[in-house]
Amino acid sequence: MTGRFALGALGALVMGYGAVLALTRQDLGQLAEVTVWLAVGVLVHDGLLSAGLLVAGYAGRRLLPAAWRAPAAVALVVWGTLTVVAIPVLGRFGARADNPTLLDRPYLASWLVLLCVTVAAVVVAGTIRSRTTDGPPAGPVE
Amino acid sequence: MRIPGPEDFGSRLRSPAVAARIGVWLGATFGICFLTGLISHYAQLPSHPLPFPTSPSWGYRLTQGLHVTSGTAAVPLLLVKLWSVYPRLFERVDVRAGRRLLLTGLERGSIAVLVASAIFQLVTGAMNAAQWYPWSSFSFRTVHYALAWVAIGALLLHIAVKLPVIRDVLTQDIDETAHDRPTAVEPASLSRRGLVRTAVAAGGVAALATAGSTVPLLRRVSVFGVRSGDGPGGVPVNKSAFAAGVETSATSPDYLLRIVVDGQEVGTFTLADLRALPQRTEQLPIACVEGWSASASWGGVRVREVLAAAGVGSDRDVGVVSLQEAGPFRRTILPPNFVRDDRTLLALDLNGEPLDLDHGYPCRLIAPNRPGVLQTKWVTALEVTT
Repeated sequence: MTGRFALGALGALVMGYGAVLALTRQDLGQLAEVTVWLAVGVLVHDGLLSAGLLVAGYAGRRLLPAAWRAPAAVALVVWGTLTVVAIPVLGRFGARADNPTLLDRPYLASWLVLLCVTVAAVVVAGTIRSRTTDGPPAGPVE
Repeated sequence: MRIPGPEDFGSRLRSPAVAARIGVWLGATFGICFLTGLISHYAQLPSHPLPFPTSPSWGYRLTQGLHVTSGTAAVPLLLVKLWSVYPRLFERVDVRAGRRLLLTGLERGSIAVLVASAIFQLVTGAMNAAQWYPWSSFSFRTVHYALAWVAIGALLLHIAVKLPVIRDVLTQDIDETAHDRPTAVEPASLSRRGLVRTAVAAGGVAALATAGSTVPLLRRVSVFGVRSGDGPGGVPVNKSAFAAGVETSATSPDYLLRIVVDGQEVGTFTLADLRALPQRTEQLPIACVEGWSASASWGGVRVREVLAAAGVGSDRDVGVVSLQEAGPFRRTILPPNFVRDDRTLLALDLNGEPLDLDHGYPCRLIAPNRPGVLQTKWVTALEVTT
């Protein structure tokens, strides 16, 4: 219990130090913009992304045969993550005409190949699983 | 249409047993990011209460590569972790609960801070790696540093609050349901273990897809790396001579390297003078704060030998001044242990070719274990204060 309390107190202290850094090293306009960015990050995740995943899950359960759902879920996590991670390079937002060594890969082509590979992997895994099992794989017993 | 409650989420994957296991991985990536970030900040301080070491020469390359790679790997871990606890966002708060209400408010407030700062750190870090700055007023460096403390503090507090549950679910089987919400019973297509493994694997794939900017062996598989590794002399460029506004001054025939002691010029070197000093070759990495790095063979003169040729010792901080007229890194400080290190060069050649204008022609600083932004290009003066 003491250890737990100490850990919590340390966390609050460290957080407080960060807050002091954020408040003292910036002017009000900068603080306001940071606050907007913090809020928008949460709103985009909790509102858009999570809602999109709910819709995807619902659609997956309705439209996909049971044997295809697990491969589709795995594919969605891996492909979705890579897509999110690749947004800054896919858009080439930081590219500069005077520096051809920055963002110098064929990102869009790679992303399209990745999409095709992902879809192909789901099709292969789904087909194999529907042939080897009748209906959904037995879930863990509750 | 009503507002959903936690009871509307039926998947048995949205369980503390899953959240805690992914949380362990997520905590590890955030811990690595925090510690390597502190190292990077310390290395960039103008003066060091404890000298920053010059060895190993690849130290900063390793810590900064780890920083960006573990941050990238954290993206799927954070997303799946948040997915597994999403129903809790809809828990209703009983406003008549008095003291409990205060505790609930504090707990939810700290989670809001944790989630907001964690998302902010990963998003702005990824943007910085691609040199994308869509905000208008704040400094990436200041805010990323301050919010790192906020995020890690909020994480420690969160672990302290949840410790009994974490301890329970981690010591029990992953399919144990004692801590689950009563409605989280619907079987899913993936097993709980399958979901944890998928999240960790996705983190690994994300790391592989980007780490080639700093790990040469991965160059071919890192299809989303910010740099292919190509560039003049076989090394990428971070800031071009055009962007720094030095195209005219750096190519001027009147170029001189000035040695200044206490504001007094005590010696000057033309490029030919520098070439006439003993030439040394060192294999050293250039490692940028944005996470990319490359090792190269640098040819040139030792900083301490240039100073000695002007009759100046190497026991003081040396201000390294660039031809660049603006920017926070126009003048950097080279601490005495770096000045004395034989590997610290004013480089004139890169991989056997004369330095490209974009790499800092006529001469640039290259020192072991030093952040890329402090490896000053287009050097025009070395300043010593006694």
